[in-house]
This record gives sequence, C-alpha cells and structure tokens, in this order.
Amino acid sequence: MWRVYCDEFKLVMHDGGIILFFTFLPLVYPIVYSLIYNPEVVRDVSMVVVDSDATPLSREFVRRVNACPEAHVIGYAANLEEARRAMNEHKAYGILEIPEGFQRNVGRQEVAEGVLYTDMSLMLRYRAFLVAVTNVMQSMGGEITVQRINNVNGLVTTIATGDPMPIHNISMGNISGGFDSFIMPGVIVLILQQCIILATGMAGGARHERMSSIGYDPLIVSSSTSMTMLGQILCYITILILPIIFLLHFVPLIFRFPMEGNFIQIYAFLLPFILSSMGVGFLFQNVVREREAVFVLWVVTSIIFLFLSGLTWPLYAMPKFWSWVSDIIPATWALEGYTKMNANGSTLAQVSDCYINLWILSIIYLGLAYCIRRWQMHRAAREKAKEEKYSIAQ
Amino acid sequence: MYNSDNTGFRAIFRRSVLQLVRRPIYWVGILLLPLFCFIFLTSLMESGLPTQVPAAIVDKDGSKLSREISQTLASMQMVKVEASPESFSQARHLMQEGKIFGYFLIPDNYEADLLAGRKPNITFYTNMTYFVPASLLFKTFKTTALYSKAGVAMQILQSVGDTGDVAPLLQPINISSRPIGNPWLNYGVYLANSFVPCVLQLMIMLVTCFSLGQETKYGSSVQLMRMAHGSVVRAVSGKLLPQTIVWMVIAIFMEVWLFKYNHYPMHGSWGWMTLSQVMFVLAAQGMGLFIFCVLPNLRLSLSVSALIGILSFSIAAFSFPVESMYGSIAIFSWIVPTRYNFLIYIDQALNGIHIYYSRIWFAAYIVFMVLPFTMLWRLKRNLLRPVYSP
Repeated sequence: MWRVYCDEFKLVMHDGGIILFFTFLPLVYPIVYSLIYNPEVVRDVSMVVVDSDATPLSREFVRRVNACPEAHVIGYAANLEEARRAMNEHKAYGILEIPEGFQRNVGRQEVAEGVLYTDMSLMLRYRAFLVAVTNVMQSMGGEITVQRINNVNGLVTTIATGDPMPIHNISMGNISGGFDSFIMPGVIVLILQQCIILATGMAGGARHERMSSIGYDPLIVSSSTSMTMLGQILCYITILILPIIFLLHFVPLIFRFPMEGNFIQIYAFLLPFILSSMGVGFLFQNVVREREAVFVLWVVTSIIFLFLSGLTWPLYAMPKFWSWVSDIIPATWALEGYTKMNANGSTLAQVSDCYINLWILSIIYLGLAYCIRRWQMHRAAREKAKEEKYSIAQ
Repeated sequence: MYNSDNTGFRAIFRRSVLQLVRRPIYWVGILLLPLFCFIFLTSLMESGLPTQVPAAIVDKDGSKLSREISQTLASMQMVKVEASPESFSQARHLMQEGKIFGYFLIPDNYEADLLAGRKPNITFYTNMTYFVPASLLFKTFKTTALYSKAGVAMQILQSVGDTGDVAPLLQPINISSRPIGNPWLNYGVYLANSFVPCVLQLMIMLVTCFSLGQETKYGSSVQLMRMAHGSVVRAVSGKLLPQTIVWMVIAIFMEVWLFKYNHYPMHGSWGWMTLSQVMFVLAAQGMGLFIFCVLPNLRLSLSVSALIGILSFSIAAFSFPVESMYGSIAIFSWIVPTRYNFLIYIDQALNGIHIYYSRIWFAAYIVFMVLPFTMLWRLKRNLLRPVYSP
C-alpha cells in the first residue's frame, strides 16, 4: 500500500494536467468566482421617471426613491413613449409613472396610484426596484396617515405617535443578503467535488493511454485491488489537504463570507464527501479512454449539479424525478450540510441525515468501483491465461 | 480545381463526418449532453415559482390576535407552516436543520401591549443562505405583518368612531408593479433562456477544440493539411463544417424547445431570433477556434475553453447585473458570445423591441466569427508540425 501511495504520488506529480486540476482549479476558480459576485448587492439600478403630476408630493416621492440605495433615477421623461425609448436603448431598466392627480388624491383622502414598469431580464434588478419603491411607499404613506389621523382625531394617540406595531426583519446566515455570500459556499463544495472527480478521471485516462500505447502500464504496482485503491485514496487526500484548507479558510476570509461552523466538525463532515467523490471518480475512470475526454464529458455536469443541489432552486419545489437524481450526487448532501454548518452554525448532529447519506454514498460508490476493478483484473488475468495457453499450444 | 478521391474540401468534409459518426464521444458531447441539459433545465423549474416555502410561526402570546396572525400566515399561498415551535431557540434549531427557511415571532403579551399602546415588536427571521425561498418568504412575512397592522389600526379607528373608508387612510400611496414580459415572475423563463444557450456555447467550444486537438495529438493533422493542398482555411472549414451544421440544427431546436414547446415569452420576430441562434453557433465556433489557434495544444485549449465556458455562466451576468460588478471584472462580460445571445433574447423575445436597438449585439457576433482569421497562421504552423505534450 505504501508503494502504491508513493507511485501514485509520483505519477500525479509528473502529470501536469492532474496537478492543474488538484491545485489550479481549487485555487483560481473560487477567487475568480468570488470577484465576479463580490459586490454582493445590487445598487443604483437606473430608472426613468414620468411625472405627469409635477407637484411637491410627486417630486418628494421621486427624491426618496432616488435616495434609496437600490435605485437611481437617471432623469425625467416627458411621456411613456420617451421613457420606453430610454429602456429600449438600455439606459434604464424601469419606469416609474406618476399620473396626474397624485397629490390631489392624497389631499382628497383617496388612494394615490402610481405604476412601476420593470424590465424582467434579471430578477435582481426587479427586486431592487421593488424594494426601493415599496419602502418609500410605506414610509411616506405612514407619514400621511399620521397627519390625517391627527387632523381627524387627536385622541388616537397610539397611531398618531407613529407606528403602533414596529416590524423587524432579521436575515440569518447570509446577513447582508448578498449574492456572493449566498452562492459561494455552495460553489466551493461543488468545485471540490468536480476537482476530485476530474483529477481521478484524468489519472484513469492517462493510465488507459499508457496501456493502449505501450501495451502495459509501467507504473502499475502489483498489489491487491483494495490496497491499490486505498493507496490512491490516501495519496489524493494528501495532495488535497492544502487546497481544502485554502478553500475552507482563506477564500471565506478574503471575501468575508459567513464562517460560523466548528472547523473540526466541518472537516469530519467533509471526509465522506471526499471519499464518495473519489468513488465517483473511480467509476468515471472506466468511461474515460483518453485523458482529454474528461473535459468534453464532465465540465458541463458542474452546471447540472449546481442546479440539482437545490442552491438556486429549492429541493422541495423540484419535480420528484430530479430530486431523486440529486439524491445520488455527493455534492447535494455536502452542500446542504456545509452551508448549514458554515452559515447557520449548525452542529454535526443537526446535519446528521446529510452526514449519514454521504457515508452511504461513499460506501456504494467505492464498493461499485472496487467490484468493477476486480472484474477487470479477472478478465485481464483470464485473457492472459488464454494467450499463454494459445502460445503453448502453438 | 484538382479534385481526386481523397483530397480537396469534399474529402475533408467526408472524413470529418465519419469521425463524428464513429466516435461515441461526439454523440455524447454534441447530442446527448446538450439535449439533456435543455430538458433538465426547463423541466427543473416547471412550477415557475417555488410556492409553499416551509416556515414556522412562534406564537408566544397565544391570544386571539396572535392566533389571527397565525391563520393569516398559514393561508398565504407562498408559505407552508410546517411547525409551531414553543420558543425562539427551537425555531432556530429547526432552521439549522434545514426543515424551515424562516420563522415569524410573536412576542409575549403581544395583544395586551398592543392595546395598551406599548408598541410590541413583530420580528421575522429569514435564512438568506437560500436566496430564492428566503426572498419569497420575506415578502410574505412582510405582507402578513402589514395586514395585521392594518387590522389593528382599523380596530382602533373604529373604536373611536371613525367609520369612513379606511383603506386610503391606511395606504395613501399605492404603486402597482408591472413586470414587463414576465408578469408571472416565472423563474424558469429567466433562467432557462440564459443558461441553455450558455451550455450550448460551452459544448461548442469544447468540441471544436477537442476535434482539432485530436488531429495534432495523433499527428493526423499532417494528412489533413495534405488533403487541403496546404490551405489551412480549407482544412479547418472542411473539418468544422459538419459540426456547424449539426450545431445549427441543435440551436434551432433549442429555440423551438424554449419558445414553442415551453411557451416562454416570445414577443418579437422568429426570424431575428433564428438569425441570432445561427450566428451564435458560428460565433461560439469562432471563439473555440480562436482559442485553439492561440493555444494549439489539446490539453491547454480544452482547459481554457472549459474555464471560459464555465465562467460564462457568471460573467455573462445572467443573474448579477454587469453594472454592479467591479469594472475590471465587468469588461470580461463582453468577450463571451453567449452574452450577446442573452442580450438579443431580452430585446427581441422578452421585450419585443425594434431590431435597431439590438444592432450592436449582432455586430458583436461577427467580431467573434472574424477573430480566428487573425491567428490562422499560427494554427497552420502547428497543424504542419504537430507536437503533443501531455
């Protein structure tokens, strides 16, 4: 086993491609990804205002919307046509229309209506507009209500002094509600899985290539199947230690992602995840005849796994079939458990179902890989025996 | 033109078709994976909006008023009240275990405090680690809280004898929102239309680099160049044209799949969208070819294609707007073809505006198509002297 370990180590160290996957991928991808999303929240989305009312109240309303961090009023348009043109030219992503009679309606104690048109290309822009306009609507509305009640009836003190029932919202886990802190912990887990599968798959492809070009593998060490696999697993884990520390400690520190969990527990949690990913990688080796083929076959699965994991689209809203598929992917469970531990401070016991499932998956995948390897060895041995018989007969 | 059986453009074309048909990896890479992704991404988000978000309500008051709030909350379409824990920490544990995405807390003595004017606080907690369900939950919680507040205000007003119409009093300003093009806030419309072409771009770039890289890896590129009479343009076009044809069929299938079968909003002309898909295929191939010209090494070009292809999902700003990214990162969004596919889709299909406004995006496609021609000399040199370094 020790020899397998050393040989595998040598093999990996001499193969630039595998090294690339084991180091470059976990080092560079998270940084680039985090940089893309690091501004976290969407601010100052441009909007155009069509103010047909042109009264102090409508102007005040627009001023307050503009003062919200989420929206930015780039200017007034004379009519909807003109505003629409600004949207078509991609200068603005929304139109706030204040019809004539806005202030008059307030004065008459009627509801002052307005309309917000939004471009629906991106959900985050829509959300930003909605938050800004709703906030202004509520705060100004509250003030007007207070004024009115004071006019009508000075006795109603609870309302007149302001809010009778303050409402608070507290975001948990991802406190800033930012996009980066939401997506990155999941992506980190996914990167880890993909890097393990790709690297093991590539190592298998390299072995196949050597087999087919020279006829035998000069680097193979005769050892039992289980010992070979164990040696390889230990070798890959050794190589992965540094990238994992970087992924789990440094990336969140650099970009200020939530880090709530207990690290020893997180490492304990990730162990079966790494094992099961390697199991998938070993299985994947049987499909790959050529080391470069892993790219064509495997890269796109990252996107599939990201969606299956339930990070963007919640698992409970998925069609049954896809949620079954997602159950057999290690990243789904790892991502769920890791984000809970990391962002919400769950303990290992609280994510025990994910943990147990990961162990089950790793047993299944490694077991399957073991069986297939045994079967291959047997076949190879039988063919060899046949050949020998043949040559003797000749 | 000299044309024997095994040289010239046609011979290369035939050879390339045979390669595509014979190797299973092309079947998987060109047909199976993209089609799987199309079906996967559209069927995953079938329900449009994930309603019935699991949540909990912590009612520490247990009064008539607080029970009314619980009932209002439970009747909301977006929320499924899974549990009613006794305390804050129980609810927090439920959230940490992932059973609920948020909870609504009604404090002790809520009704009494409210009626006495002591301003009780209503608080709700949402787990923003899960962005989409938490945002939906936030909206519902806030609405519920506001309704209850309105109810309280109405009661107080009625108690002092004001029986007029209270609606304008409680909400003097009302801004209604009109989401243009996607009034159902369908998540699938917004996600599938951007991610599906991006998958296609990734696969086109990978297969382009892979098929060319095979030639240099096994040294068959010399034969290819001989068949092309030494013309790199003939060699490459003969090599890639069969792929182009298949990709175009797939791209048009994608368009039909998205807008016809799934009924995603299509407010513009089919002609321009089809043109966009066809040009998109060529642009993505141009991009792949350009990468291979610059790095005529199978491993490296595939790595770079994979890197760009995967980063495209983020850098093309499908979910996080370009103008909010750091400037130095945001400029990279302009160097991926799928960004233009996305922009044309927004203009033409979602918003249905005049083609004039999308002219620049179409022009950008042409830039990607022309791009590899600047580097073909390099490819020629490498096709003639293939070097494979593992």
